[in-house]
Order: sequence, then structure tokens, then C-alpha cells
Amino acid sequence: MTEITARNSVRKWILWFAILIAVTFAMFTIRERLDKAHIALAFLIVVLGGSAADGRALGLSLAGLAFLAFDVLFLPPYNTLVVANPLDYLVLLSFLITGVVSAQLLERQRRDAAVAVRRAEEIDRLAALGAETLNAPRAEQALDAIALVICRAMQTDSCEIYLREPSGALTLSTQAADAEVHADSGLLNFTVEHSEAAAERADGTLTLLGDVLEARDEPASDRLNDLRALGIPLSVRGRIVGALRLRAQKAFSLSADQRRVLGALSYYAALGAERVRLANAEDEAESLRRADKLKDALLAAVSHDLRTPLTAIKAIANEVWRGGDSERAQVIELEADRLAALVEDLLQLSQLNAGGVRLRIEINAIDDLIGAALQRVEAAHGTGRIEARMDDGGDMLVGRFDFSHAMRALTNLLENAFKYSPDDATITLLARRTGEFVEIEVGDDGRGVEPGDEQRIFEPFYRGRGIPDGVRGTGLGLSVARQLTEVQGGTLTYAPKPRGGSLFTITLPAADLPTA
Amino acid sequence: MTLPDRTPVDAILIVDDEPQIRRVVRNALSEYAKDILEAESAGAGIDLAASAQPALIVLDLGLPDRDGAEVCQDLRSFTSAPIIVLSARQAFGEKEKLLDAGADDYLTKPFSTVELKARVRALLRRAAGPRREAIITAGHLTIDLAARSVRSGDDLIHLTPTEWNLLRVFIAHAGQTLTHAQLFKGVWHDASGDAQQYLRVYVGQLRRKLEHDPLRPTLIKTEPGVGYRLDLDD
Repeated sequence: MTEITARNSVRKWILWFAILIAVTFAMFTIRERLDKAHIALAFLIVVLGGSAADGRALGLSLAGLAFLAFDVLFLPPYNTLVVANPLDYLVLLSFLITGVVSAQLLERQRRDAAVAVRRAEEIDRLAALGAETLNAPRAEQALDAIALVICRAMQTDSCEIYLREPSGALTLSTQAADAEVHADSGLLNFTVEHSEAAAERADGTLTLLGDVLEARDEPASDRLNDLRALGIPLSVRGRIVGALRLRAQKAFSLSADQRRVLGALSYYAALGAERVRLANAEDEAESLRRADKLKDALLAAVSHDLRTPLTAIKAIANEVWRGGDSERAQVIELEADRLAALVEDLLQLSQLNAGGVRLRIEINAIDDLIGAALQRVEAAHGTGRIEARMDDGGDMLVGRFDFSHAMRALTNLLENAFKYSPDDATITLLARRTGEFVEIEVGDDGRGVEPGDEQRIFEPFYRGRGIPDGVRGTGLGLSVARQLTEVQGGTLTYAPKPRGGSLFTITLPAADLPTA
Repeated sequence: MTLPDRTPVDAILIVDDEPQIRRVVRNALSEYAKDILEAESAGAGIDLAASAQPALIVLDLGLPDRDGAEVCQDLRSFTSAPIIVLSARQAFGEKEKLLDAGADDYLTKPFSTVELKARVRALLRRAAGPRREAIITAGHLTIDLAARSVRSGDDLIHLTPTEWNLLRVFIAHAGQTLTHAQLFKGVWHDASGDAQQYLRVYVGQLRRKLEHDPLRPTLIKTEPGVGYRLDLDD
């Protein structure tokens, strides 16, 4: 890069010296017919051209050479530095001054242009950063990126961005740090309280900096020298949404360029902080909305699903107590079992919704998982209905998942199959390895799911349309099963069987056994 | 195999603050003990366990005055009587915690009295003394502990050393729910190790060799989230 610039520069020097020589030679051949003013003008044009092409050094060199040529070749007596007419000294001097001044003026123009180009590039970079950070998939990631950029650009040891809670308290959202730096939160509170950037000096004193970051043209302010920490309030539309703190172990200063960039970057940080705040508010609203929906569904279910078995239990218990058929007591047990299952579903669902499900991911044998689920459902429905097959070629299928949760999900699918298929129909269960997953399919010969309900059946309390009246369920089983498989990195999907009936497929992350 | 000697034990202690549950448990277990003692708090239960030396303790976890695991440990400090825990909670890892704290078995409410009786029978039988027989038959299987051999009918089943050790630990604690940690310690004499994560796979392989239908095991039962139990008597 610099080599190319240098080579370009040499070329320009050679070119302009050649032009000077050519012009001098051309004028020399007709010097008797030329006025001093013509010569001075011609030389000035060359000097200006050189200055414009490669700056002050070339301009001044050309001016010097032109001055000598003017003196020696065009002012009598020729070929000496001596000038016959004393007034010609004035002409020479004016020429020199004009040449030098114009070279200087042109140079300043060039510099201003270069600064303008640099600023344009800086703005480009900031705009790119802004777009990049505001497009980060998560609001917090945007803040992380901004903090890192600020830390690098300001060459400090740490940059922290704090969010302001509705209560006014500041909580750390992100920290970009190259080193551990200790400081108390006095500076942050101070800067937020006064809505003004503030500095912490080496002796621990805090001073307000006014609008030092906004001031456009002020040269590097000594207010930004000898800092130990710098606090900046982050505000959007006049409201303080957070604060930013720069810290370093040694005293640091910010140049005028850094100050200007910091002004822009801290506004991005403010936008990022506002975005985090809005995202949190949205999450909260969403979970409130879901909780509300669940509560409505729960109330409806409780009134129906809890009261029905309770009514049966109460009536039959009363009958038995009055000396009725004691065989009827069995119905009490059945209804009680149903209530127990419902309570278990509700507990599970409330835990899932509160995000409070704890996982114990371990290496488990699929044999064991299927065995435990079969033990549970066959104890309730009797044996002989489920045809279970392991498509494993003799090697044990192994997965990495939470045993209890996976078993719950599989049990719910089997219960579901019992509930919705004819009393004598076989329920199929097939396990196999597909790539990185173990797949367990539960198929039944029921009436399947009505078109359009394929996704809704996984919503809590949703009961598919067209379910026969005698079938009672809570509408929780599939929802719980899907959530339980998804929290451990698996999936639960539904597909209709080609000849009627449903096929539910659970996938769970597979594991490989070390070869012994 | 049924218990040849079913003489009732002297006393069984029930610690539960709910009178309804005490009554259900008392009715279910009355045939196993001459005397059923009741306590409605952890404090009273520990006092009674110390003074009356019951042969078995049924302990409810939802006691108002003490944490269940603590009570378990306290009881273990002075009595070796089997403890069976009743719980309505389904807190994460609780079963395992209690079994490791010294409880011998665990039932979740609501439970059936049939299940409770089966568990109590198994615990009392084991407490009466360890299995002395060198040859154990269970269904189609004949296990010869002295000769270290397992036969299905007349066919010899080949077990790897790890599988044999697993089976040995199961037999020593037949009828008792063993946590994964207890099983691992029994086989490898160590509290942790690389093999631990594959424990369930070893159990699966043992099942494939011993069970008629490994998906519907009759010998080695899974206690989801807790561990395994060997049932020789079903």
C-alpha cells in the first residue's frame, strides 16, 4: 500500500519536473517576445498543478526551481543570478510568495478532503456496526458486541453496560474486559443521577463532564485526560435506560477522534439497552398471556374432569356404605386412579410451564425405557395388546436422555393409543436408530386425527374433534409428552397411518457405546 | 418362592400425621405384626422407634416438624429396622436421596395396599436374615452362587464378569430397590467411575440374557428415576 503510494509519488515528481522543464524550454525559445508577467503566470500554473497533484513538497520544490529558472534564464542579464533592474527583484519575490502561499493553501484543502474521507469511512463503519448489532438475533448479543467494540476502540481494560430496572436500580448486562478492574458503583449512580457523562480520577474524585461527547469541533478536551473510569448515561428519547462504564487499571485519555466515536457508540449502546428492555417486557407479556390461557383452560378442565370422577366416587362410596354391592367399590378405585393421573399431568404441566423441569441426562438403554413404559401401561390395561419390536439387529439401542421424562412421554403415547383405538386392536411399538437419534414409533388403529388438528392436538387441554363420547381424557397427555421430549433435545410428531389410525414418533438423542 | 415362616413380627411403627393414612396402613399391615404402633410427628416417631424397637418402620415424608431425609438418617443412627417411605411429593431426585439416606424402599401416594403389602413382605423377609441357599431358582432360571453358573432350563447362560457381579449384588439385595449409585458401588466398590454411565447398559445386557422378554422383565424390575429391584418371588 505505502510502496504503491511512494511509487506513484515519484512518478508525479518526475512528470511535473518534466513539465517544468518543457515549459521553461518552450518559453526560452521565444523569450524575446515574452513579458515577465506571462512567464510568472506560466510558472505559477505549473507550481499549482504540482501542489494539487502531490502536495506541498512538490509545489514548493517546483516554486524554488521555477524561481531560479525565472531569475537565470528570463531576467537580464541572462545566465546569472544577478538582476539588472532592481524592480525585477519585486517581481521575483512576488512570484515566490505567490507560489509558496498557493502550495500551502492547496495542501490545507487536500487535508480537509482527507479528513472528510476518513470521517465518511468512520460513519460507514459505525453504520455497519449499528446494523450488525441491532440485527443480532438476541438483544443481549447486540449489547455484547457493542461493549466489545467500545472496549477495543477506546483501548480501555473494560467496558460494562448496565440496564436500568423500572425501580431505578442498575444491573450489569454485559461486560467486555481484558483485565479484572475493580471499581465501586459510585460513578454509575453519579452519572445517571445527573444525566451527564462523568469521570473518575485517579484520586477517586468524581467530576461531571457536561456535553463533552456531543461537542463537535472542540479539540481534544483535557477533561478527557487522566481518567481512571468514565461513566456515560445511556438515554433514548430523553429517558435513561442504562449506563456505560469504561475502566482501566492505568490512567487513560481519549483523543478527539475517540471521543467522537464514543459519542456515536454510546448511542448504539442506549438503543441496544432499550431493545433488551423491550424484549424482556415482551417475554413477560407472552408468558403472562400463556399463563392466563392455561388458567382458563385449567378452570374449565378442573370443573369437568375433577368433578365427574368425584361425583362417581361419592355416589358409589355411599351405595357401598349403605350395604350395596361391594364389587362396585372397584369403580371407586378406577375413578381414583383417573384423578391421580390427572393430578400428575397437571403437576407436570405446571412445572413445564414454569420452566422448572430439571433434567438428568444419562446414558439409558431403550430396552429399559420401553420396558418401564410397558410395565406401567400393561399394569392398567392388561397384557397382550401391545406388540413391541426392537429393530436393532441384536445390538442394544442406547440414548442420552432423562429416563423418567422420556418414560412419561412414551407412557402418555401408549395411554393415548389405548384410549383411541378399538378394544381388540393391536398397538404397535417399534424402536430403531436413525442417524443421531433413536426413534420410537407408537401406532394404533384408531380413527386418527381430524385434518387440521394435527398440530392442535399438542396444545394443552385441546381435545381433538370427533372423539367418541365414552372416551375421557384431560387433553394434557400429548402436550406434556411433546414438551417433555423437546426439553431433552428430542421431538414428538404425528403422522396418519396410510390405512387409518395414528402414528406418533418420539425421537431422542442416540448414544454410542465405546467398543470394548 | 413363598415365605415358609410367616410368624408376625412384634411391632411395626407407622409415622404419619394423617389419621386416614395411618388407618389404611394399619389395616393393610395388621397381619404382619402383633402390634402396630402409631406416631403423628417425627419427634414422637423417633422416640417410639427408640423405646419400642419395631421390626419395620413406615415413614411419611410430609411430616410437619422435620425433613424426611433427616428423620431417615436419625433413625438409621440407632436402628437397622427396614424403613419404607411414603411420599406425595415428586421432587427431583428425592427417591434416590432417601434411599441413599438409609430408607429401604419408597412408595408414592396414592399407592395401592397390595403394593404396600408386597414391599413390606419383601423387607421383613430380608430383615429376617440373608439368603442362605447357594442355589436359587426363579422361574426358568437356576442360579448357582457357589459354582457361579446360571442355567435357563438345561442351557448354560454365559455371563461376563461384570454381569455376574451385577447379578450377585441383585441377589444379595433381592426384593430391595437399589439406587444406581448403590448398584455401582456394589459392583465396582467405588463411588464413581467411567463405567457408571454405562450401568444401565450392563443391566440391559443382563436382562437380555436372563429374561424371557427383556421388554417385559419379570426378574429385574425398573424403578423409574431411582434404580432397579430384583424380584425372585413373583
